[in-house]
Amino acid sequence: MSNMKTSIDPAVNYLLPLAQKAGIETAWDRFEAMKPQCGFGELGICCRICWKGPCRIDPFGNGPQKGICGADADTIVARNLARMIAAGAAAHAEHGHHVALTLLEIGEGHALPYKIKEEKKLRNIAERLNLNPEGKDIKQVAKEVALASLEDFSRQKSSIPCNWAKETLTASRVEKLVELGVMPHNIHATIAEIMHRTHVGCDADAVNILLGGLKGALADYTGMYLSTELSDVLFGIPEPVVTAANLGVLKEDAVNIAVHGHNPLLSEIVCDLAIKMNEEAKKAGAKEGINIVGICCTGNEVMMRRGIPLATNYLSQELALVTGAVDAIVVDVQCIMPSLAALKECFHTEVITTMPGNKIPGATHLEFSEETALENAAKIIKLAIDAYKRRDRSKVNIPDYKETAIVGFSAEAVLAALSKVNPEDPLKPLIDNIVNGNILGIALFAGCNNLRVTQDHNFTTIAKELARNNVLMLATGCGAGAFAKHGLMTQEATEAYAGDSLKEVLTVIGEAAGLNGPLPLVLHMGSCVDNTRAVNLAVAVANKLGVDLDKLPVVASAPEAMAEKAVAIGTWAVTLGLPTHLGIVPQVIGSPLVTEVLTEKIKDLVGGYFMVETDPKKAAVKLVAAIKERREGLGI
Amino acid sequence: MLVKKTKENRFIYVDPRRCLGCRNCELACATAYADCDLQTAVTKGLQLQPRNSVVQVDDMVMPIQCRQCEDAPCALACPTGAIYQEDGFVKINEGSCVGCKVCAMVCPFGAIIITQDINDNGNRRTKKAKARKCDLCFSRQDSDEVSCACVEACPTKAIMLVDYESYRKKIIEERGKELARAHSKTKVGWK
Repeated sequence: MSNMKTSIDPAVNYLLPLAQKAGIETAWDRFEAMKPQCGFGELGICCRICWKGPCRIDPFGNGPQKGICGADADTIVARNLARMIAAGAAAHAEHGHHVALTLLEIGEGHALPYKIKEEKKLRNIAERLNLNPEGKDIKQVAKEVALASLEDFSRQKSSIPCNWAKETLTASRVEKLVELGVMPHNIHATIAEIMHRTHVGCDADAVNILLGGLKGALADYTGMYLSTELSDVLFGIPEPVVTAANLGVLKEDAVNIAVHGHNPLLSEIVCDLAIKMNEEAKKAGAKEGINIVGICCTGNEVMMRRGIPLATNYLSQELALVTGAVDAIVVDVQCIMPSLAALKECFHTEVITTMPGNKIPGATHLEFSEETALENAAKIIKLAIDAYKRRDRSKVNIPDYKETAIVGFSAEAVLAALSKVNPEDPLKPLIDNIVNGNILGIALFAGCNNLRVTQDHNFTTIAKELARNNVLMLATGCGAGAFAKHGLMTQEATEAYAGDSLKEVLTVIGEAAGLNGPLPLVLHMGSCVDNTRAVNLAVAVANKLGVDLDKLPVVASAPEAMAEKAVAIGTWAVTLGLPTHLGIVPQVIGSPLVTEVLTEKIKDLVGGYFMVETDPKKAAVKLVAAIKERREGLGI
Repeated sequence: MLVKKTKENRFIYVDPRRCLGCRNCELACATAYADCDLQTAVTKGLQLQPRNSVVQVDDMVMPIQCRQCEDAPCALACPTGAIYQEDGFVKINEGSCVGCKVCAMVCPFGAIIITQDINDNGNRRTKKAKARKCDLCFSRQDSDEVSCACVEACPTKAIMLVDYESYRKKIIEERGKELARAHSKTKVGWK
């Protein structure tokens, strides 16, 4: 391994040498072996869209400047980027579609393992979607909400915007997006449109392709939004809960089951059933019964709804297995390293795939369906208990690292906390404190881990800098995982790192909310699909102030971005008007035009723009400057 | 005594500022020595062994291959005479190579690779591994004109085959210009 530090996570640094000693390969080893990575790919100027290619553009001007079809670097880069956005949107769309279909099943009296946990929220949603829920039976409301959501996947009339996009943004933003021609009418159609316009011989105008990309990003937003809201209806609205994070949450004397991936549909049932099957685990010799832990965003989902501890985030998922203490890892969709199945060869762990479209060679496939979720979950837990009996105790190495984390700050939870300060007008304390400068602004951290930087380092460094500058911070996804693992979602972190005025505000709200101290330094808003929770809050503030989102002192940051989903999320953040920081150089800089549009020109169109800065300290300075610029714009 | 003038060897020059680390040169090299195209080599499962290797040091990436040293340590050290100077190349006769790795040990650039030929099944006594090195594609030349697979394949023209004499001439001209400019500036200062 090179001299680059792999991670600032002590559990990772404890386990990696053990893995190396045992000859177990991890993502860090494979990253080293992959070097050097192809510069054409890094710059985004490799086109593999048709079989005449691959075509590559020479960025130094000596070699070819056009692909065989005549596409130049601008066209190629824009097409590649738009396709990434489409893929990200497709991932979130499938997730949302699945949840909406489940809600429909419930409305129609099927999908018996599931029920509506949040009737009030469902009725609120129905109202937001103009479905007049009053007096209607809850199943009827469920059906109508499900159908209205599914309409966003099937609407044919392109002049009618998606319900979930139109009803969740400020009126002026909707108007602007319609005017720009980037408002999606149908999530699936928008993804298909990108795939079509980037096909060989279609759209060659880089700026036009990018506009298609913005539309794709908004389709992503729509799919995510409905996904989060409907998941809350089925599984509960997250509320603040104290839990723990990092691999120290695994227990030597328990059947450890890790739930990993993104979709809560099965993991929720696994959690329910684990409680019932605890005795069975004890009978098998596990004194502490069943211990469920989370990884990645399925981990975030069950953490914020149930207080289930988070074992680790994306990059260190393999190391959970290297502890030798995970008896089963249940994976659904997205961000699952196929290498997990190979790791299984070294340990007793059952790697269980659950979705028909997401299998891994070497893993046990136990197909999940909404109707049979209970039986599926029971089988999974049985497999885990059986695996526990095979566990080789000499191979168990649970790192003694875990941090407390207060998680579960849904928009509703934040408003509930604020209403303890001002019951009549919950947003007032937040707005007042932004106006008077006690809170300089708000930053939303999202996104993944990436081997190109030291794991979690960018997240924690930027957060500490922003805290000092009195910026209120929200986090989702593996960013949230990073903060949880490093103890930044605690009251102690607020005491240690927050600037005086931020500390004061967080303390007032925290005390009022009955936390006997301040709110945590970074508020955990959920999994990566839950970034829309932050938009929910921002739109409420914008509406209250009577301005659009691009005027608010709100910024976003994806300091360790990796996935296509992150590309889509970052792009909609920009499209909604937010200055958005990337800590990883995006694969677009082979086109000066696309780079310029994304970092500058787009500001005139939508108000938001990308800031690329790989140095976390400098990134913090830029984020603070962007917030200050917005404050000046508002005259505060 | 008259010394017969011999031309110094040509060599591969790489501009690391232009190298993007795409490894196209590795593929081109490997297929050139396998004497077939990439698709055939892959579908037939042929052994592909490039004679160059793209390395990354910090932010810099570039391929490393034989420098065609004039006083080649590999040729001096080779106990079987498999490596030798001829016609401006450091050549290797793989038939005489016994795979002793002395050349790999003495090469200052790590440019020599010892590998077994998987198509040439070893018996109990020997694995038949041989030293492989870049010979500027000498072994695949049909004509007198040297053209290297890696140079042809480089999409950014970062790799060049350089004739030492012309290279030196160019360098000396450039350095000369710099010196001349420096002097002319000094003159201005004296006015």
